[in-house]
Amino acid sequence: MRSKIGLLVVFTIIFIIPTLNYALAAGDEPGKYLDRRVEIWNLFFRMMVVAFTIGAVVAGTMIWLVWRFRESNPNAKPTKYEETGDW
Amino acid sequence: MSEHGNWAEWVYIGVVCALLVWVGAEAWNVERLVEHVPADAEVIKVTGQQWFWSFEHQDGTIEIGELHVEKGKAYKFEVTSKDVIHSFNIHDYVVLIDAVPGRINIVWFAPDEVAEHEIQCREYCGLLHYNMRAKLYVEEST
Repeated sequence: MRSKIGLLVVFTIIFIIPTLNYALAAGDEPGKYLDRRVEIWNLFFRMMVVAFTIGAVVAGTMIWLVWRFRESNPNAKPTKYEETGDW
Repeated sequence: MSEHGNWAEWVYIGVVCALLVWVGAEAWNVERLVEHVPADAEVIKVTGQQWFWSFEHQDGTIEIGELHVEKGKAYKFEVTSKDVIHSFNIHDYVVLIDAVPGRINIVWFAPDEVAEHEIQCREYCGLLHYNMRAKLYVEEST
């Protein structure tokens, strides 16, 4: 078992890490350059979409909670703890 | 309280964790891409001092207050300062890095069209900070 793990570690070092490095390498071809403006602004816009979506969901949930569980809501029922006064 | 289910909380925790991981991974990946300097980038030594920028090209040419580069080439800026902390910024190309005395910071860019752009200091560096500007001229490649 130990030798298998050792072998796996060796294979990982020999094959997987260089493959990952190669796959993750970027912009090494001469004349082909990444446009940092596009990358940076796209990241910004993606993050803004996520932030505003989450903001809307969280705010909406809070508004719904306050609306639904207000005392004056016709559907409001006391919880069993409130009914018995047994906390 | 025993019949109280808490699946909603777990879903919430799962969604939050997934989002945090996604945000971190996206940011890490973009940072990795943007910071990877192309192997054939030409080095330009940038020095900030109160209150002007000087640029030294690979061939030894020195420019003060203006920088001439060629369209379609990659340039690696090695940024430092002679006095206080400045910040080297080419706003139009989203280039921004601190110029710190005794330290060389690296940033790169590849201009893709012929134009003129502002270079400016983005770290308050004294009385004439507001006027610590330079002009970037992107010219047709020769």
